[in-house]
Amino acid sequence: MPYTIPVGPYHPALEEPYKVNVRCVAETVQQVTVDVGFSFRGIELLAQRREWVPDVTLIERVCGICSNVHAMTFCRAAEQIAGIEVPGRAVYIRTIISELERLHSHLLWAGLAAEFMGFQTLFMEVYTVREQVMDLLETISGNRVNYGMNRIGGVNRDITDPKSAIETVQAMAKVIEKDIVTAFMNNVTAKGRMGGVGRLTKEQAIEWGVVGPVARASGLDIDVRDDRPYLAYRDLGFKIVTQPEGDVRARVVVRALELLESIRVITEALRNLPSGPLRAFEGMPAIPPGEAVVFTEAPRGEVVYYVASDGGRTPARVKIRTPSFVNIPALEAMTMGQQLGNISLIQASVDPCISCTDR
Amino acid sequence: MEPTAGDTARADFIARLTAIPGSAQVEERGDGLWISAPHLDVEAMAREMKTLGCRLATMTGLARDDGETTIIYHYARGHDVINFKTATSGNAVRSIAPLVRPASWIEREIHDFFSVDFIGHPNLIPLIRPAELKQGFFRDPDPGSTTPEKP
Repeated sequence: MPYTIPVGPYHPALEEPYKVNVRCVAETVQQVTVDVGFSFRGIELLAQRREWVPDVTLIERVCGICSNVHAMTFCRAAEQIAGIEVPGRAVYIRTIISELERLHSHLLWAGLAAEFMGFQTLFMEVYTVREQVMDLLETISGNRVNYGMNRIGGVNRDITDPKSAIETVQAMAKVIEKDIVTAFMNNVTAKGRMGGVGRLTKEQAIEWGVVGPVARASGLDIDVRDDRPYLAYRDLGFKIVTQPEGDVRARVVVRALELLESIRVITEALRNLPSGPLRAFEGMPAIPPGEAVVFTEAPRGEVVYYVASDGGRTPARVKIRTPSFVNIPALEAMTMGQQLGNISLIQASVDPCISCTDR
Repeated sequence: MEPTAGDTARADFIARLTAIPGSAQVEERGDGLWISAPHLDVEAMAREMKTLGCRLATMTGLARDDGETTIIYHYARGHDVINFKTATSGNAVRSIAPLVRPASWIEREIHDFFSVDFIGHPNLIPLIRPAELKQGFFRDPDPGSTTPEKP
């Protein structure tokens, strides 16, 4: 006889509130529906009532993990409307912070994945490296989470000792490559627990419009850094990572390999950091009437900002589309026919961010 | 100079966008292609964009002073971003959710924020609007002061 289990909004696997209604027959999932909106903060509306500069700080709070990407994308939209050209050094610093943020986001997720598998030693290994990334971000920006690096027209802080940063990143790279990537790709427990679970085929990935590592793990070669290069990605080159299987393991492998690509991009950017100013101008920006749509690749996938200005002190419209907003609904397809016991692992494999989704 | 195969393919692509019923001239901007088409047949657009291999990235709602809502459909395909800007009539527009799955949540959110009626949406229920805020609260000059709806 069919039965329904409400998983959430206080979630057994994740810290943020959302609800998954799971309908089963015996142990097999037949239908899943997802409810969000438990932590709505109205950031888009608030952003339309604050001035452009305080908005950068507000929008950085859309997400506690990919905070930088939101502030940066908003700044890019304002810069596009105003025709502001960001200095080369600031562009490279934005790239470095974006990739460090991806490292810490992917490592956070990898640690949680290890814990969900019951692989505690790997969890400890991953979180040790993640702390080193956070320490480096703190050394550069003064903050562990909301870095406050972006301003309209450039960045607020310099990277004063790139040589030391390269050494730190290279030390992390050894552990990531030798221990973490190897464990996720080759360990028998990891392979056995994740292989064939929560599959999303390439056709389903297109149908549901998923983005980021979820899409790339289903064989879709979409990545804004490659499709429409921004910041310094055109200069530094970028290798897109895909896997064809579409299961939880493929999502793990994509993120693991992306760690290595992020390390390469960070190292190259630090080695080639241009000299010059950090910002295009001093003082308050003047944003003329206009509109812009900007795409950025956040750790969880494509972020889209639409920003409109009527020439006033506040934006006329700020629209934020986060990757989790399009990835979470696809849980419906990933969980169909799966074992009830795999639901938490499948949900975690999407790396859902409810803070982003609800805004 | 002779047009390249890439130029021809792009010209064909733009011609297909222009040929969508209710579509208009394509404007090339720094952030992609823009088509302002107040009377766009959005269902025809959704079908054609699917055929062209374009992915619906999102939709933006913008409140207008006349009570209508501007709707922008943002699509992505490879290097291209394509934006169709249209408007509601009676604050309603046909839903594309039956044709394009990701549109379902996006239309529900625009319904929450701007009270747009997406005709034909299979499940137009609140997505992220808190129960104490009225439907269409983005149009309210001070939504925090609105009287909560009775349960």
